[in-house]
Amino acid sequence: MHVVRGIRGTLQPFWVTLRNMFRKPVTVQYPEEKQQLPERYRARLILTRDPDGAERCVACHLCSAACPVDCISMQAVEAEDGRRYAAWFRINFTRCIFCGLCTEACPTLAIQVTADFELAGRDLLKLVYEKEDLLVDHCGTNSNYNFYRQSGIGVSAPRGRNPGEAPPADVKDLMP
Amino acid sequence: MSESLVTLALIAVKLGLIFAVILFMAAYLVLAERKILGRMQLRYGPNRTGPFGLMQPLADVIKLLTKEDFVPARADKWLFLLAPGITAVTALLVFAVVPFGPTREIFGQQVPLVVVDLNIGVLYVLGVSSMAVYGVVLGGWASNSKYSLLGGVRGLSQMISYELSLGLSLVPVIMMARSFSLTDIVMAQQNLPFLLLNPVAFGVFFICVLAESNRIPFDLPEAENELVGGFHTEYSGMRFGLFFVGEYINMVVLGSLLTVFFLGGWHGPWLPPLAWFLIKVLAVCAMFIWIRASMPRLRYDQLMNLGWKILLPLSLLNILVTGAVLLGWG
Amino acid sequence: MITLTADIVRSTNKKLTMPTLTIDNQTITVPEGKTILEAAEALGIVVPHFCYHKDLGAVGSCRMCAVTVHTGPMPGLKMACLIPVEEGMVVTTGDDASATFRERVGEWLMLNHPHDCPVCDEGGECQLQEMTISSGHGIRRYKGDKGTYTNQDLGPYVAQEMNRCIQCYRCARTYKDYCGGRDFGVMGSRNRVFFGRFKDGMLESDFSGNLVDVCPTGVFTDRTFRFKSRSWDLEQADSVCPHCAVGCATIPGGRLRELQRVCSGDNPQVNASFICDRGRFGSGYASHPERPRQARHKDQNISVEDALTLLESQIRTAVQQHGPEAVLLLGSDRASLETNWLLQRTAKHFGCRVPVLNAHARRHQTAQIAAFDFSDRLASLEDVRNSDLVLVFGVDPLAEAPLLALALRQMVRKQGRVLLYDPRPVELPCEFDHQAFSPAGLQELLENGGVEGRHLRDLLGQAQRPVIVAGADLLGPLGLQSLHAWASGASNAERSCQVYPVLAGANSFGTALLSLPEQDDLLTRLESGKVKALICVETDPLLEAPHGERFSAALAQVDNLVVMDYLPTPLSTNAGLFIPTCPPVEDSGTFINNEGRLRRFRQVIKPGLSLARTGAGEHPSREFTLITPGGDPLPAALVLQRLIRQEQELSELHRHLAEDQPRLKELPTITPGAPGKRVKPAVTRPQKTDKLPEQPAGTFQLVVSPARYGSDLFSRFAAKLAPRLTSTRLYLHPDDLFERGLKDGEKAVVETDFGSFRLTVASRPGMAAGCALVENNGDCPQLIPGAGLSYCHIAPGGADE
Ligand code: SF4
Ligand code: SF4
Ligand code: SF4
Ligand code: SF4
Ligand code: FES
Repeated sequence: MHVVRGIRGTLQPFWVTLRNMFRKPVTVQYPEEKQQLPERYRARLILTRDPDGAERCVACHLCSAACPVDCISMQAVEAEDGRRYAAWFRINFTRCIFCGLCTEACPTLAIQVTADFELAGRDLLKLVYEKEDLLVDHCGTNSNYNFYRQSGIGVSAPRGRNPGEAPPADVKDLMP
Repeated sequence: MSESLVTLALIAVKLGLIFAVILFMAAYLVLAERKILGRMQLRYGPNRTGPFGLMQPLADVIKLLTKEDFVPARADKWLFLLAPGITAVTALLVFAVVPFGPTREIFGQQVPLVVVDLNIGVLYVLGVSSMAVYGVVLGGWASNSKYSLLGGVRGLSQMISYELSLGLSLVPVIMMARSFSLTDIVMAQQNLPFLLLNPVAFGVFFICVLAESNRIPFDLPEAENELVGGFHTEYSGMRFGLFFVGEYINMVVLGSLLTVFFLGGWHGPWLPPLAWFLIKVLAVCAMFIWIRASMPRLRYDQLMNLGWKILLPLSLLNILVTGAVLLGWG
Repeated sequence: MITLTADIVRSTNKKLTMPTLTIDNQTITVPEGKTILEAAEALGIVVPHFCYHKDLGAVGSCRMCAVTVHTGPMPGLKMACLIPVEEGMVVTTGDDASATFRERVGEWLMLNHPHDCPVCDEGGECQLQEMTISSGHGIRRYKGDKGTYTNQDLGPYVAQEMNRCIQCYRCARTYKDYCGGRDFGVMGSRNRVFFGRFKDGMLESDFSGNLVDVCPTGVFTDRTFRFKSRSWDLEQADSVCPHCAVGCATIPGGRLRELQRVCSGDNPQVNASFICDRGRFGSGYASHPERPRQARHKDQNISVEDALTLLESQIRTAVQQHGPEAVLLLGSDRASLETNWLLQRTAKHFGCRVPVLNAHARRHQTAQIAAFDFSDRLASLEDVRNSDLVLVFGVDPLAEAPLLALALRQMVRKQGRVLLYDPRPVELPCEFDHQAFSPAGLQELLENGGVEGRHLRDLLGQAQRPVIVAGADLLGPLGLQSLHAWASGASNAERSCQVYPVLAGANSFGTALLSLPEQDDLLTRLESGKVKALICVETDPLLEAPHGERFSAALAQVDNLVVMDYLPTPLSTNAGLFIPTCPPVEDSGTFINNEGRLRRFRQVIKPGLSLARTGAGEHPSREFTLITPGGDPLPAALVLQRLIRQEQELSELHRHLAEDQPRLKELPTITPGAPGKRVKPAVTRPQKTDKLPEQPAGTFQLVVSPARYGSDLFSRFAAKLAPRLTSTRLYLHPDDLFERGLKDGEKAVVETDFGSFRLTVASRPGMAAGCALVENNGDCPQLIPGAGLSYCHIAPGGADE
């Protein structure tokens, strides 16, 4: 039995390869033919906006911490109303490996992947994207979430008026 | 015109032709291999450079020539530079004694279609082809890299193991042809190729030839998954190219040897002898490629077992049996 | 089996017992009085906790540290931070009961915690994040609303976000109990407790920044560091605060070539785990916009290499033509030990006379008394904390050595007593007896003593662990030498009376220790007229030594003025040859602090123009070059080594230094972040002391005190400290004010030996009569503390400019 299996195992691949010779290759002839990419394909990153139209990214640095190739950098600043946002936000797509770990890490759903993978070019600097290149005018995959409504620190609504919050405590009240 | 001058000129022409043909074949073998492998894996293979990718070899050569010729720090510089040459040149040298057609009459001269018809051709072949291992070993040693060194050492032990069986599997052939000359061996197969007369010797020889050429399933010296590139890890540019081309020249040369020793050389019905020779060589090469597409790499211990415990006793036994049969036959 | 060595317990006659207990199947022997939590920590077992803090102790308010105790009369769940270890105790930390308990506590602590980690500056170094995860709580089950608070504006240094509070009380314990602050505390009842001030406003304590380090959550964060970086992106290293001679352990952090914040390090012998606001928020000097970053020769920018070649030829020519006196190398008490030692080496290399290591001659002299005469009886701050009687002479701790004030408070909290003799209206965050003595009066007290002096010496003799704190600036060599006699007199066979000298610069002690007896002072050397080339290394005698006008006059005779510095001081702007160097955060080296402790610091960031951009639409450059803009400055020690062409690794340098100076034998073994070791004691060194000048009639004794902020050059160039700066006033005792017919807020002209100044007058009841107090800061740079006893005339008025 052993011997038969061995011989079969040795010869069968020859048959398989031979048969493949006469089959049609599965190669898609990019760029003449374009492939229909799956909806959740991971390619170029974007920064989305919340349903109220404000930038979602709070410059928390979690994506840059998660990024295995360290290609995200940014600087956070504070707006008048206490909103934390990115003064600048840079993704170096010459380094990005499109692993999508940044999107997993993002607590605000700001950074999202798109299926646009056609980034190749000869000028490396063109692949260093700044915030204005990354920021888009839509919510991306989730059109309901607004981090500042859930955060509990009163940026999009006064303190204590967001969903699930009690009004601010009166610390001078001595009622038991 | 004196006769010797004509002879010299003819030899020069022959040499030039052979060089050209072999290098051309090697180059297009690469393309063929990539295309065939591609098709066997349901891909197209190279198809962008020129029609059907036919200019690919040219593009590759240009690419290799324009790449940086890199010598690692603390490498043994001269050996490092020399090693790829050894591989390519020894492979070419072997071809000197390979007859690829019957003697012909050109300009009133009897021209044998072989560069030199040595009467100890077989010994020459064995001797020169075993020099090829120096390229591998020295390249691996001189690179000053662990991967290269391991590759070189593997190459060395592999070739030593298979050299023996290779030589022994040719003994029955010599016994049957009663000559060391390759032309005589071909002539001896006029009626029946030795493949049919002595399939065991053919089998052993074929396996050993595969091993000699460092191709799958015997490509341990360059095993990519474990040794990066084995002995040629540190090579770049045209020096890498030499190793690479050397491998394919080797394929052509070994194919020719197989043809000469077992497939009856240029003998065959209907077609002209040269065509037969070419067809047979290419068939062997195709077989090599097919094997590469279909077989996994052997493990190191399996390789050693096969060489020392199976092929060697088998070829020894084969000599005895062949001898006995020949004695009994007459 | 591991044994935790006992802390140095001195006084108690109690025999020290060392119970052995088992925690999670590992046995450990610890000194009695330690808690289960501390024993577990020594074993490397993490028990989640919030309210316990190494230096604040435990209060048992967070209930996070639950473990199960299996032995004793009442086995069961216990708070590890509260239960002292007992012989034979068996404790488990991971059993079901305690793990479940901790998970529930974690869940309960998170009930009101907002969902804002992404916008919280604590994120990444948050104990709440860590402990919640280690407690195992993950998913919120409580469906009710989260409580919220309204925040306060606590000024420019500390930001508050009360919603994040978990009521561990660490802040109140730090601010009120440890640091003695009075304007911050707990308010409210039940689930409305609030930690803050009674109303909005800047926190008053000089130690307010410690709230940032101590709060385990993001309630208190560093406002000057707001949203600048994440902790994991910071380049951080163990360093030493350069602002005063206490030498606190700090951990500065930088990103994008900008020094962004300073946190407290931990040095149990010196600062424990707290630092003052001057050290924390005074870091702006490293990225000061005017910081000179380019080598310069006569208004021409040149490369550092060219500058060095030029300097070498200048020194060689001067020495050849005018002899060894012609080149004067000037060291500094803010330069590292290595730099100062290399100066001596450089002098030897070129055959010049020995360098002067401190431009301020009198400070250098007092530092030498501290470094030699006192060297066998130096107290550490930990000794001060454990003392039962501290006599403070001529020190305003909050101005001269802030952490000393904290140490004094800790000793008072342990029933110790502080007696303070100083002309200034000193404030301390603790109870103390202040006698306002004028400088001359102080000298008299220390010299012959009288009744008061005898009483004090009796007290010293009776105390169990007495420490004398001696202010070098005010007492001068004479006063220090008297105190030396006091200290020896009060010592006996069982214990010696220790001294904590308060020096001026971060490395005053080090320069004094290195100083050679044959070196004389800067002005004598300059005024001899023999000096042709003056090389000032990280010092500006105009700002750091008295008699600037004499210095400027003498400079006229100097052909070549060479300055190496990292601060935009007037001298560096006027230098003929300027070579940029690096401040301590960009360098690795050693300081020796007040207590003779070698304190190593390690490079935190590399020199270069900051990349940080915070404006709208700005981002770092899109040009990429291999050279760092503004990256020219080299550490002074390296510049000097290049100058003499002997570049060595720091460790190699330390080996040579230790061979050269046997007192620094331990130097090669000291690592940054370690408590650091003391230098070896030395024999006393004779000092020539001048008689005190006679007081001319109708004059006041001039007291120049460093301002709390803006006196040391580092904080003068630190923009963040601006809100704390005060403008210079002339402080007088109310009686003197009345006598001279002056009123609070009026202008007066002070005629001093260092020039005359027109200042606003203010009355200060707490100060000594007959004294005129002026604070030194950027406003009055000519008045340098520690210049010795001098007198001034005060006249009302003066025309308005
Ligand atoms: S996709 Fe991966 S590599 Fe690219 S930016 Fe995100 S985390 Fe980095
Ligand atoms: S993780 Fe999301 S919110 Fe945070 S910095 Fe990245 S993109 Fe912005
Ligand atoms: S503010 Fe911070 S330190 Fe103070 S009780 Fe709340 S969590 Fe604790
Ligand atoms: S006490 Fe002195 S050394 Fe310590 S942090 Fe304050 S200024 Fe720095
Ligand atoms: S650490 Fe023990 S109860 Fe808080």
